Amino acid sequence: MTMLEVFREHKQNVCAAWVELVLSTYSLDTKGFLRTKNDPFLNPVGDITRLCAGCLYDAMAGEDIDAAKLKDALERLVKLRAVQVFTASEALGIFYAFKSVVRSTLLPLMEKSGLTAAYLEAESRIDTLALMAFDMYAKDREVVLENRVNEIKNQHAQLLRWAQTVDGSPVGGSGKTKL
Amino acid sequence: MATLPTPQQLIASRPAFPKENWMDIKPDFKPGSFCYPAQKQTMELLHMPNPHEWNPADEDWNLPENWEQILIDAFEERLKKHRSLKLFMDICVRCGACADKCHFFLGTNDPKNMPVMRAELLRSLYRKDHTMLGKILGKKVGARGWDKDVVKELFSYAYQCTECRRCSLYCPYGIDTAEITAIVRELLHEVGLGIHWIMDPVKNCNITGNHLGIKPHSFVEIVEMLADDCEEVCGIRPKTPFNEKGHEILFITPSGDVFADPGVYTFMGYLMLFHELGLDYTLSTYASEGGNFGSFTTFNMAKKLNAKMYAEAERLGSKWILGGECGHMWRVINQYMDTYNGPAPAHMMDVPTSPITGTQFTNAKSTKMVHITEFTADLIKHNKLKLDPSRNDHLITTFHDSCNPARGMGLLDEPRAVLKAVCNNFVEMPEKTIREHTFCCGAGSGLNTEEIMELRMRSGMPRGNALRYVQQKYGVNHMACVCAIDRATLPPLANYWAPGVSVSGVHELVANALVMTGEKKRTMDLRQEDLPNVDGGDE
Ligand code: SF4
Ligand code: SF4
Repeated sequence: MTMLEVFREHKQNVCAAWVELVLSTYSLDTKGFLRTKNDPFLNPVGDITRLCAGCLYDAMAGEDIDAAKLKDALERLVKLRAVQVFTASEALGIFYAFKSVVRSTLLPLMEKSGLTAAYLEAESRIDTLALMAFDMYAKDREVVLENRVNEIKNQHAQLLRWAQTVDGSPVGGSGKTKL
Repeated sequence: MATLPTPQQLIASRPAFPKENWMDIKPDFKPGSFCYPAQKQTMELLHMPNPHEWNPADEDWNLPENWEQILIDAFEERLKKHRSLKLFMDICVRCGACADKCHFFLGTNDPKNMPVMRAELLRSLYRKDHTMLGKILGKKVGARGWDKDVVKELFSYAYQCTECRRCSLYCPYGIDTAEITAIVRELLHEVGLGIHWIMDPVKNCNITGNHLGIKPHSFVEIVEMLADDCEEVCGIRPKTPFNEKGHEILFITPSGDVFADPGVYTFMGYLMLFHELGLDYTLSTYASEGGNFGSFTTFNMAKKLNAKMYAEAERLGSKWILGGECGHMWRVINQYMDTYNGPAPAHMMDVPTSPITGTQFTNAKSTKMVHITEFTADLIKHNKLKLDPSRNDHLITTFHDSCNPARGMGLLDEPRAVLKAVCNNFVEMPEKTIREHTFCCGAGSGLNTEEIMELRMRSGMPRGNALRYVQQKYGVNHMACVCAIDRATLPPLANYWAPGVSVSGVHELVANALVMTGEKKRTMDLRQEDLPNVDGGDE
């Protein structure tokens, strides 16, 4: 068997195990719902996680995967976890856990087929994916902060424009009203 | 060497939710997940009960000494007053139909954000004091007494509910968790607990008439600046009539649209439309806030702030009221105004009637208030507006149904009719996320405050997810809405979940397309950005 064949054969169970792991980072009571309901709009967390699992796996296995699709799948899951009351390590630790799942399932098989070196390469691709996720996470957190700043500005935008026309205003003034 | 945790151990560090006794999980107040408390001074000014200094992050919330009795009495009083509340407490069969319908639940996956659980937080207290079984068996039958952690829990989850009513749509018994949340917020106010972003606007509306507390003369100047901007865009300076007696129509809209980006462009849209129609109307500095921040606190406060609408119509002798694009303003008007402050002043028109088309708005017979998109949709239907929708051709727009107009008054088709007339490119978001099924912006009912941006991003996820879908699939780059709070909350939501999608009110797009008599050649939109599809524009 080639490496790709081994990977393909185990895609479903590895992905399922990882999805289970990710979902178990949510409360026990909600895990059932996340696992069972299959609708991209009515169960976005379940859907985003499952979708990402498939893409991650293919990228790791070295399949010819559309880069944009991979980035999008990763981005969505990271975006989600970046705002879900997780610490950074809890949010992104799922990618390292992915590695553990892959290793425990596939490394013994690869070793048996003499594919250890190729396997290690695939594993390194998980590191790359995790690094990509890091960048995304950092950017997402920045957007949250940026949103806060923008909102404060936007809330008073017209008021500020008006204040600039008022005589005695610290932001200039054309001598209209006295404050 | 110390043993390091494995990645699995690290990510699984969140405590599991115990199946039997959810009551044992205490609420957690991490920065970013709670709103800042209302200031003592604000609460005093408003004569709210038990004003005091406190902070959700502190262990001790400085509750008044007899807090428990206050809450027990207040709850009992509400149960007597609102038959619906007692019903809601009694009839839930825990079928779970509502459980996964809440955007807070979908975004946080916190079981206590399932509507059924949110209600259960209060219902458990009800069982203890008001049901025989609960009195005897206590925790075994899901009953519990008040303690300080219960108060904290109620606070946490009453402010993780936007009172959007999506859950009630799916409840076979019509249990309205939004009403339960409203009651919980009322109860918390009895012991002096409220949030800054709601109480500060309440105070301002109470004193000066608008949510930022801008004095009347300044308010007028700000609106005049917007009229100047209109002139810049179309060469015509619309009128800005204020506090004038004897006009047929009083126009009331949320003041957010006078102060905030991008709401101001919607306001400019109103001014231009009314000018073009030669509408016999006036604005008011007294009734300068359509939004009713009181409705996020207590019924009495909502009633008080609502009262100025009729009072001003009476003072100015207006025949009927035209209301702008707002969310909770319409919930209050449509559901409560009649009982709060009705009947409308006797001099008002029996049935509000469009002076342009003669259409009678029979749906507004009792309140005398007509929604601007009903008014404009009627104008368009009767061909009374000259429109050039190609000016909006650079936009592929979708429509976000704001919870209150959609579920609180059934306003679903009028904004769509208007949008389709003024935009050539209109795309709906997926079926289960629009119209009465709409997902909330995640920050309504007074939660659009910046300190909980992170929470808002998770509660806004279902909406953001649907938006992202149409963005990728159909190239949607714009989302219109009919709510001032949405105009504040959707831009950050879009910026996070579907970056590149802009947000506006419907009437901004109307005015972009509106061909006005004697206007100059339009090269800019209302934001004074070049219109790409017009000669002399960017392209
Ligand atoms: S849908 Fe209604 S009856 Fe069913 S659990 Fe929810 S509130 Fe209770
Ligand atoms: S009213 Fe809306 S926010 Fe509140 S519980 Fe129901 S679905 Fe959730």
